[in-house]
Amino acid sequence: MRHDPLVKMSTQKFAPAALAAATILATCGANAAAAEDSDSLELKNRSIGYVLTMRHWAIYQTPEAKEECPQGFNDGPREQFKLLYPEDGTNWTLLETQLERESEVWHPGTEKEPYPFYEVEGTTSIGLNLDGQVDAIDFISPEGDEGIDNQLYRAIGCIANFRGPDGTAYHFENNYMQRYNYNRFVIEITGVDDLVNDDQVTLTTYRGLDGLLTDASGRDFIPGGTQRIDMRWGKEFIQSFKGKIVDGVLTTEAADLNMPWSVTFKTSPVMYLKDARFQLKLTPDGAEGLMGTYVDVHDWYYHATVGWSTHHQSYGQESSPSMYRALRRLADAYPDPETGENTAISGAVDVKFSRAFVVHPDQEIAADDAEMEAEVASTRD
Amino acid sequence: MELRGVSKLLKTTAILVTSIAFVAQANADEYWQSADSTAAEVYVEEPMPPGFRVERNELEGPVFADAKGRTLYSWPLERLRNGDLGDRQNDASTCTDEVQTVNTGLMSPYPGGLELPDLETRPSCVDVWPPVLAAADSEPLGKWTITEREDGSKQWSYDGYPLYTSILDINPGDVLGGSKFREGADSPVVRKPVGPSPLVPPELAVTVMFTGRMLVNHENYSAYSWDGDAPNKSNCHDSCLKTWEPVLAPETAQAQGEWTIIERSPGIKQWAFREKPLYTRPGDTRLRSLAGSDSDGWHNVYTQQVLAPPKEFTIQDARIGHVLADSEGMAIYVYNCGDDAQDQLACDHPDSPQAYRLAICGGGDPDKCLKTWPYVLAPEVSSSESSLWTVEYIDPKTGRWASPEQSGALRIWAYRGRPVYTFSGDQRPGETRGDAWGEFYGARNGFKAFWLRDDFLGNAG
Repeated sequence: MRHDPLVKMSTQKFAPAALAAATILATCGANAAAAEDSDSLELKNRSIGYVLTMRHWAIYQTPEAKEECPQGFNDGPREQFKLLYPEDGTNWTLLETQLERESEVWHPGTEKEPYPFYEVEGTTSIGLNLDGQVDAIDFISPEGDEGIDNQLYRAIGCIANFRGPDGTAYHFENNYMQRYNYNRFVIEITGVDDLVNDDQVTLTTYRGLDGLLTDASGRDFIPGGTQRIDMRWGKEFIQSFKGKIVDGVLTTEAADLNMPWSVTFKTSPVMYLKDARFQLKLTPDGAEGLMGTYVDVHDWYYHATVGWSTHHQSYGQESSPSMYRALRRLADAYPDPETGENTAISGAVDVKFSRAFVVHPDQEIAADDAEMEAEVASTRD
Repeated sequence: MELRGVSKLLKTTAILVTSIAFVAQANADEYWQSADSTAAEVYVEEPMPPGFRVERNELEGPVFADAKGRTLYSWPLERLRNGDLGDRQNDASTCTDEVQTVNTGLMSPYPGGLELPDLETRPSCVDVWPPVLAAADSEPLGKWTITEREDGSKQWSYDGYPLYTSILDINPGDVLGGSKFREGADSPVVRKPVGPSPLVPPELAVTVMFTGRMLVNHENYSAYSWDGDAPNKSNCHDSCLKTWEPVLAPETAQAQGEWTIIERSPGIKQWAFREKPLYTRPGDTRLRSLAGSDSDGWHNVYTQQVLAPPKEFTIQDARIGHVLADSEGMAIYVYNCGDDAQDQLACDHPDSPQAYRLAICGGGDPDKCLKTWPYVLAPEVSSSESSLWTVEYIDPKTGRWASPEQSGALRIWAYRGRPVYTFSGDQRPGETRGDAWGEFYGARNGFKAFWLRDDFLGNAG
């Protein structure tokens, strides 16, 4: 990869919103400068950075799906098309078939469909207790924790596309996340005195600008890469979370978060997460765990339809109109003040990060200045 | 907070405040050329059969045209999901006078054999794309050859591909039927305007961007020029060369027209275009990058650029780059559509079937369409330097062109003869939630944001 020479900040053209973000970063830099003599070997200036290398909606799977999908998996666009418009000699028109289906994709309704939709029936789910309560609709985690909020799993868990390892959405969402720098998601944990126990740290999210560092095989991601922060176009992805580390596990408070989440060809959708929070096992080389979150039903749905066309959805029997109805049925948060209907759904994301060295724009300038000074000095000599 | 941290904060803030003031003007200068500019792409002159000529288009550059100035197009074979369509090279035309009645099913996942919309008024391929017929005594010349159509008539081909004109092109220089712009994956098989090759050295090429025809090197990395250079003299040395790499000319290179050669040092030659030495930027991690123009005094290089769009339009920062927006900062979208019939006719125009657009924009409901994807209204007093932007009148209920006097007609902006839209789901300036909305990510039947710059995904070129 061609190494990007550092562009001086004075030549950057930022929109006004960047001013606030840069202020935050400069302040962090100042704090970091004050703590250079931390005793921690893993940390640099009481900070540690990670870059996302794996991301899936958390789907708890049992062998052959017998527990969660006893009735099998759902039909997708092709199967539903055949049911709705059978080859019985009828002279079907494009308008009453394909365009009707695409109308349903982009402007879905909630009336009952003439075929079944299978929701997850099991009681176990990966996830977090988002609301601090144990409700009848909640799951139990594989570790036995009650009150797990993951109704999104109930909606999509029996759709083949979302199931690992070879559901096409499961595979390609992650693949494109790894390939496209648009999706480069970086977290920097600051104020860290101890990576095992620390009662007050801050996790800040950014979009990075660099590719992922792999080993020689190209298959596995390894720690030690550099991630420059996108302060030009990625301001909406910056968010800070207060957190604590207990026995090596970081948990954060909740905040809304925009995540770059492109799936395929030239698309640039964003996942708008509400009350997102992190639960990550931290090591000097990486971090792994969960993000728990609510997502507005329409935001999640249109992200799925913009990001994955009917053609690609059909690979894994993912029917957008059916999925929309399930999302509306199973939404469990953010009631509409007028109708009382829930507008957001709980979910969880399996995530894995590699250690990365986070480079902020002011650090780029400092490095560039140092290089220039060295060059000038050498000419004097 | 340490003084060092405060100093750094103040320095950062001061730099940003200074930069912000120049954002809008600086960006606009990079994207269009002045209406007073005479910059136009020089092309390789080649012999043409009698009656053919070259016309110039603001976006497409030089294009071949017939005696009446109508742009010539070809329809090269392209792969669809389930098969290929278009004309094969060095073969006869597949564009016939047969009116197609059903779709092919070549675009997954929907099957073929479905009756097409508006069948009673559907034209044939040749109704929309009249073949460029050759007189009985015509003779091939260079890349210009002649093939025989099914009905025995003779048709001109260029570079082996049969040629057509478009019924959408009215005035000489119009290129409304198709574009040289790179189509995305899963686009319809489109017709493209045919033109002479740009006059560039082998080390360089011209690539099509949404805002003009840009110089790149043979590996598709952007070429740049620097205000710090003098005419035909490079002042980029020492530390400058760590960031910018001269586009070298071989020993045997010869200057021609707008292309000159400067000798940086004995035996080391560099290309210059319009007296400006050219460079690439090793730091460009993407092909056809515009990132180098962020450096003060450095510019991407174009053979020609489009002129400015309507005066009230704005440029907004978005999550991947710059997007063209209306006066309120709401992103502007174009609508793309091509059907899946054997002749892959376009459905992106008010004269074409509206069923496709209505399905996507409003579930078949025109009122919902207007609410979800409103047209970009043109103020009574509005103007555009660019000929690509025109004011039209539309019937919002039918999506068809209207007369100005028609009751309920909307006065709207059109780009290349087609309406443009904003998206009701965009909640603030620069948002592009509607980008890729529709079948196949907006390429087949859907909406795409008007990207001027895309640093991540290649949407702008």
